Amino acid sequence: MKTKVVLNFSPEAANTPITHNLIMKHGLMVNILRAEIDEIGGKMVLELSGKADDIRKGIDYLKASGVGVRPIKEGVRRDDELCTHCGMCVSICPTKALAFDPKTGKVTFTEEKCVACGVCIDACPPRAMEILI
Amino acid sequence: MTAEEFKQYVKSNGVKKAAKEVDVVTTGTFGAMCSSGAYFNFGHSDPPIKMQKVWLDGVQAYAGLAAVDAYLGATELDEANNMMHGGAHVIEDLVKGKAVRLRATSYGTDCYPRKEIDTFVSLKTVNQAVLMNIRNCYQNYAVATNSSARTLYTYMGKLLPDYGNATFCSAGELSPLLNDPFYRSIGIGTRIFLGGAQGFVVWEGTQFNPGVPRTPDGVPKRAAGSLAVIGDLKQMSPDFIRGLTFTRYGTSLGVGIGVPIPILDEEMAKACAVTNDQIFAGIFDYSQQTRSRTVLREVSYSELRSGEIEIKGKHVPTSSLSSLYKAKQIASNLKSQIQKGQFMLEKPVQNFALDRVFKPLDVRTEKEAM
Repeated sequence: MKTKVVLNFSPEAANTPITHNLIMKHGLMVNILRAEIDEIGGKMVLELSGKADDIRKGIDYLKASGVGVRPIKEGVRRDDELCTHCGMCVSICPTKALAFDPKTGKVTFTEEKCVACGVCIDACPPRAMEILI
Repeated sequence: MTAEEFKQYVKSNGVKKAAKEVDVVTTGTFGAMCSSGAYFNFGHSDPPIKMQKVWLDGVQAYAGLAAVDAYLGATELDEANNMMHGGAHVIEDLVKGKAVRLRATSYGTDCYPRKEIDTFVSLKTVNQAVLMNIRNCYQNYAVATNSSARTLYTYMGKLLPDYGNATFCSAGELSPLLNDPFYRSIGIGTRIFLGGAQGFVVWEGTQFNPGVPRTPDGVPKRAAGSLAVIGDLKQMSPDFIRGLTFTRYGTSLGVGIGVPIPILDEEMAKACAVTNDQIFAGIFDYSQQTRSRTVLREVSYSELRSGEIEIKGKHVPTSSLSSLYKAKQIASNLKSQIQKGQFMLEKPVQNFALDRVFKPLDVRTEKEAM
């Protein structure tokens, strides 16, 4: 099983080797899709692979360590009222979460594929994309 | 029929039958059209003012006209040079029914003694609010890419380094002027769908340049013709008039335009049968900071719409800046208006001059300019 999560942590939690612990203690394969740290804490987008039970335990461990855990769906949001379906975002989206549907002419947004990299945010002419993390 | 339906019909039934049976083909496009703007007549205050400088929600409008007229350009930025808010966004807000702050200053005259005014206006309060765009609806355009090592922010959108992507801006086979390559039915006086209302073509668009390279069928392979259009802003819809921001470039207006094309004869039917695989555009490297960029190669709209093109041996993902979804909406909206008798076709009062050329601007002496 695979899942993507968005982590927010305080400066204190930033000093804990949480990625190491997820791998070593919970037997998870961790793919770091995005990571940043500043004076107010850190943000990470991880893809976790492993047994469902281990993933659950890993997420429990993160929560117990004071790390905010949210599903990736809450990483980037599209305002469908603003989107004109031009398609500017399609060629710059590294995971093809934003894709063109030739049948309808619309741009589809598959939240599960999104890694919240934010490349689309300043590329969107009607400013329909918003990053929440 | 919409242009898409017509192409299918021609494929199955041939040009002859299509020319005989189909009266009108509707086209559509929705894209960033920078040379757009709106003029207003605000009405007179008491005491009256001869507005010398005018701002609408902090965006300056040109007021070098009679007392209370002003023209707001889509790409004018607000006083803080905030690219998230320009003339285009003020126009969209007005179309949405919002009130905007009007500030004006003047030097005062005997007939217009007032020196400043600070008030609110909306489409309900002004006398005229007219969208008047001097270059819209380009007949084809460039494909943009970037060979340099840094991301470029352009009017063609975000261009990733090392040919990371390519962007284009045309509705292709649905686009009005690509279905009438020699402007036989589209000319001065043509009634059009403009921003959700009915408007008119008033002139050739600026930079009108019909002499570009064309395919053997006459379809231009570069930016060629364009339209100057006019329409009542009060009748328009925010679905088809949108303020846009191109990061580090500025603001632009997203405009929806649809043009009905009467199938006058077989030649017209053949022109309207053109499909994306027969329409080509040049790929240009936008890291070349010159007005005369070299063409990397030509590419068809079917290739561009496939999501990937090849440039210098590299598979490059493509993006459209023109909304095909809205173009389809406009073409079918126009079709149903015509069917219901709500939209009348006009024969052009005058056709465009085909001898126009696109001249550059050089630094010259007074004598050289004569």
